[in-house]
Amino acid sequence: MVGEERESAIRVVGLSKRYGATAAVDDLSFEVRAGAVTGFLGPNGAGKTTTLRILLGLARPTAGQAMIFGQPFAAIADPVRTVGAALEISGFHPGRSGRNHLRSLAVLAGLPFSRVEEVLKLVELTDAGDRRAGKYSMGMRQRLALAATLLGDPSLLVLDEPANGLDPQGIRWLRDFLRAMAADGRTVLISSHVLSEVAQTVDDVIVIHHGRLVDEGPVDRLSGPQRVSVRSPRLADLAAEIERAGAEVSHAENDVLVVSGLNAAQVGDLAFAAGLPLHELAPHAASLEEVFLELTTDPPTAHEPQAPA
Amino acid sequence: MSRVLSSELLKLRTTRTALGFAGVGVLLVLLVVLVGTLAGNPTTAIDKRQVLSIGDPLAAVLLLFGVVGATSEYRHRTVAAGALIVPSRLRLSIGRMVAYGLAGLGVGALMLIVSFAIGIPLLSGASGPSLTASDYAQAAGGSLLACGLGAMLGVGIGVLVANQVAAVIGTLVIVFVVDPVLLGVLPHVGKFLFGNALSAVAGRSTSHELAFGAAVAVILGWTALALALAGWVDSRRDIA
Repeated sequence: MVGEERESAIRVVGLSKRYGATAAVDDLSFEVRAGAVTGFLGPNGAGKTTTLRILLGLARPTAGQAMIFGQPFAAIADPVRTVGAALEISGFHPGRSGRNHLRSLAVLAGLPFSRVEEVLKLVELTDAGDRRAGKYSMGMRQRLALAATLLGDPSLLVLDEPANGLDPQGIRWLRDFLRAMAADGRTVLISSHVLSEVAQTVDDVIVIHHGRLVDEGPVDRLSGPQRVSVRSPRLADLAAEIERAGAEVSHAENDVLVVSGLNAAQVGDLAFAAGLPLHELAPHAASLEEVFLELTTDPPTAHEPQAPA
Repeated sequence: MSRVLSSELLKLRTTRTALGFAGVGVLLVLLVVLVGTLAGNPTTAIDKRQVLSIGDPLAAVLLLFGVVGATSEYRHRTVAAGALIVPSRLRLSIGRMVAYGLAGLGVGALMLIVSFAIGIPLLSGASGPSLTASDYAQAAGGSLLACGLGAMLGVGIGVLVANQVAAVIGTLVIVFVVDPVLLGVLPHVGKFLFGNALSAVAGRSTSHELAFGAAVAVILGWTALALALAGWVDSRRDIA
């Protein structure tokens, strides 16, 4: 049990949060592996931010518990050196400079001003440090929020939608930043509703919808079962052979079959054994985006108009 | 606690809010002292002392200063940044209260200098008895205390209400409408309201006012009540 707790940086058990009749989080349970970068995914309004706020002691759960390294946030002896969290890019006074914002937090945490300069350099805000934070661009605000999370050099980072409003350069910078954090051996929990922002960075994913867990696990597993596209001038004969082998076949285009249930090598061997020529053999997995949409798209209700076939 | 206090003092020094309130304070002091001496025709020692006791109008400004300072933490969502470092919100509120109390003393001292620098030469030409060292000490001590306590109480109100607009309007209504009305209609109740008690601490003297010591005790009671309620409410409040 103790060993399990060491492996889990975050453990959420039976967490619920209700606002009147609305359940923002509904009996949610999941774990975040220590040392992994985990994507906390779900569409807008899925309950991600509420969950993170409860995790960080900023909101009280209706039921359940959220633990960080085996204890609730409020019980952590030295929170700033344990958890760095960025929940709001507007979590600063617009009239205060970025440098002074970080200095006020450093003083609160008992850290020297030299640490402020280090994190400003890390997020490439040294030159803009004396400008009022209210004048910062969206990307600079995100970087200021990230700088605040790094002040105590914590082993766990909790980032809520850090890519919101970033331009492509900013997203690329964030991706490199997260990779550097992961390379340092930190645990990172990053929430997002835009899959492309995190798909290339995360090890694990947790997907929630309507406040409930819909899937969790390594990002590779979530990418879904592998399928194989195969092109042949004798498509009908090939389809029959594949179906005889117990796999499923569907026609994607006129001369292309999509095979589920066999990998590319098995399809190739089957065609060779039957003497059927192949012009193309390509394995591909469903994208994380496709799986995510499948998991988090509500079925149309009886009242909603159906898309034309 | 010293870290919380130091952080709050740094925050106070690094925005223009405190300077803005100090500017309003200077204008108010100039107005009160000039009108009090040139148009008020002070002839008794009490009248002259009240001209210099700028804590009466200034305490209300510093009360608002505390309210605005505390509620801006919620308005700009900086309260979460602090709570992620010091999870005890009560500790943060107490530190903020002490910091604003010290800032109130500082602003009060600055205003006293302005008040004395203008008022004493003007009053020296007025008829009637001259002010003694005791009068000056009473005017200065009462004004400073009213400024410090006003700012502290304002923080308590701000943390309790959290919404800046509601807290500012509510405080203005209490100080400028409820307090004077109640003091006129039910003076035995009205004198215990915080606006009237702050005036009594600052040295305003009317037949209904509390004695200085009692007024200080009443303000400390209001401040403790606001802190206790704010602590209770804030510990149950979800930070947005």
